[in-house]
Amino acid sequence: MVRIKKILAIAAVTALWGVTSACGSDDDSPATSGGPEEADMVVWLNGTDTPQEARDWLKETFEKEHPGSTLTIEEQEWDGLVERLTTALSSEDQTPDVVEVGNTQAPTFTTAGAFSDLTGDLDELGGDDLLQGFVEGATGDGKTYAVPYYAGSTYVFYRKDLFDRAGLEVPTTMDDFVAAAVALKEDSDQEDFSGYWLPGQDWRDGAAFLWDAGGDFAAPDGEGWTGTLSSPESIAGLTTFQTLYEEASGAPADANEADPVTPFCAGKIGMMSRPGWVYGMLTDPEAGCPDLAEKVGVFALPGSDGGPAPVLLGGSDIAVSAQTPNQDLARDIVALMLSDEYQGILADAGLTPARESLASLLGDDEFAQATIEAASNAKLTPAAANWATVEGTRILEDLFSQIAQGGDVEELASDADERITEELN
Amino acid sequence: MARRQPAVRRTPLPIGLVLPAAALLALALGYPLGRQVVLSLQEFGLAQQFGRPPEWVGLGNYRELVGDSYLWTVVGRTVAFCFVNAALTMGIGVGIALLMTRMSRWVRIAVQSGLLLTWATPVVAAMIVWQFLFDTDYGVVNAVLTGLGWDYDGHSWLIEPMSFFTIATMIVVWMSVPFVVFTTYAALTQVPDDVVEAAEIDGAGAWQRFVHVVLPTVRPVLLVVLLLQIIWDLRVFTQIYTLQKAGGITRDTNLLGTYIYTLGIKGGDFGTAAAAAMFMLVLTVILTAPYVRVMLRQEED
Repeated sequence: MVRIKKILAIAAVTALWGVTSACGSDDDSPATSGGPEEADMVVWLNGTDTPQEARDWLKETFEKEHPGSTLTIEEQEWDGLVERLTTALSSEDQTPDVVEVGNTQAPTFTTAGAFSDLTGDLDELGGDDLLQGFVEGATGDGKTYAVPYYAGSTYVFYRKDLFDRAGLEVPTTMDDFVAAAVALKEDSDQEDFSGYWLPGQDWRDGAAFLWDAGGDFAAPDGEGWTGTLSSPESIAGLTTFQTLYEEASGAPADANEADPVTPFCAGKIGMMSRPGWVYGMLTDPEAGCPDLAEKVGVFALPGSDGGPAPVLLGGSDIAVSAQTPNQDLARDIVALMLSDEYQGILADAGLTPARESLASLLGDDEFAQATIEAASNAKLTPAAANWATVEGTRILEDLFSQIAQGGDVEELASDADERITEELN
Repeated sequence: MARRQPAVRRTPLPIGLVLPAAALLALALGYPLGRQVVLSLQEFGLAQQFGRPPEWVGLGNYRELVGDSYLWTVVGRTVAFCFVNAALTMGIGVGIALLMTRMSRWVRIAVQSGLLLTWATPVVAAMIVWQFLFDTDYGVVNAVLTGLGWDYDGHSWLIEPMSFFTIATMIVVWMSVPFVVFTTYAALTQVPDDVVEAAEIDGAGAWQRFVHVVLPTVRPVLLVVLLLQIIWDLRVFTQIYTLQKAGGITRDTNLLGTYIYTLGIKGGDFGTAAAAAMFMLVLTVILTAPYVRVMLRQEED
């Protein structure tokens, strides 16, 4: 009896050891090129920006050109993307093969070595035709780790009928714009109506007012970076933001810009800064409100000098994960996403194509003009390697939201400077 | 007999049975803990996450944290939040459990079903409902309060830290009360009726019966539950994290859990995050030590 028990115990022990050791992973160093001929590829796309038609085209074309391989698109939320990329990209077992990453978030991952070097493929992917601002942002030490996917700066959507009722013209300077926003709000009898819809956490659109006044988030300082939000120019810009929020916006001070459709369709927005593809959401018969969308006009946010204001150069990059073994197949996917057909579908949806020669695909209507005009003076966030951690730690959401709540601009700005300087160095 | 006992002790079976569990524990707890200690002594950022060799900085991460007054603010906030939540959960939980001993069968089944549903609701799903209740623009609570004549239209519940933590407390307590109720109720059913009756005959009032008869009987259970509550409320994360995203100022509402997450996963500074996590560990040990000691003493008795 004792013997049998002993054997059982030993068997149990060995079995458990077997189970636990199976959990360990082998630690091969990542490949930089090559990989199998066939694989199940995973592409991460963020938010609803990429239209369904483009997703279908990518899947079908890739699977037709590579029989035996499959392509799965996994949609990620923009919110919290930096965290998810940090954890997923570092694991060979879990990494997606191709990822979309916000153009302002890309430098952090390129300097960390999370993406494969695409320098050798640049010519094939479009070379000088690629949007150069995006390529530069993803280049370090002469190597390029990500390529542009699409660009899209926000421009102003406005309700033509409300402008007519209030007797307003499309504003041509920043002062006119602020005055129009306040006038629209005063003209409405709804308490939570927005002459200009500006949720408190929306620093990406708030940046335009900061830059228009000559301010900025941070500036290079010797080897490192220093926060510059408390410079007199920045304070002036942030004060404009506060004025606009207090006198023209009806959006909550602690909300973000993720959902403009609900308040717009409820008739509570006179003007709002949004990327072009939001128009598609407004005209959607189920989720949007086609009746109200018909009354929409658009213009590029005017700057103090009468030209377009410096808005945030929005957009995305695509990159290949350094950890994926399927390097060659991943590069084929990137090439497909930069092809004329795919970029054409993006342009139809109001996204600026990643290659300059394809800009004409946008058409020449009011929307295309506003897109091109807004992009003409667009600006990037500071090119510091750690910029994504400033975004990740929500310093700017906190700052803009507290300014919207009526906080002391100078005090808040100098606090934020301290934290930005700390994160960037 | 006396001769056979040592022989039984010498069989390897008990050790063989304990060993797998112990080995699993050592692996599942020991490895991350060891890794955490190592990380906390390194400069480990995003680049290291992707393969660059880390640099040893000794106690540099700890020095940086201790010198930052923000860490102490967060520690204080975490301890206060933990005590308030654990106390409220225990108070409400034990109260409901006592009430349940007096309920008629059907009422009790109804109450138990309600509690069970609460307990079974996944945290993230529950958080979506809570967010909807307290939404600034379209929240049910604002609509009801405004309907009753107060001016709560567009009131933001999460923007002020005190208001934020009140909502967070409501949610955390709501989620953990069922566990306390079920465990305490189970313990209360074990209190022998004849002892209570005897006390009643001896002239003890309801309060005296509760303090001198019922409470000592269920004390061990209450101690374990309280210990668990303190540990849970100390490392609360999901509720705070979700509410921070729904509104509120991240920096003014961080507890240790979300602060560590902000440092590490969001801020890409895993070394400092690991050092901050060591504070959490020490804090847990300090706060739970008295209860563990009392429990051990009871075991000996």
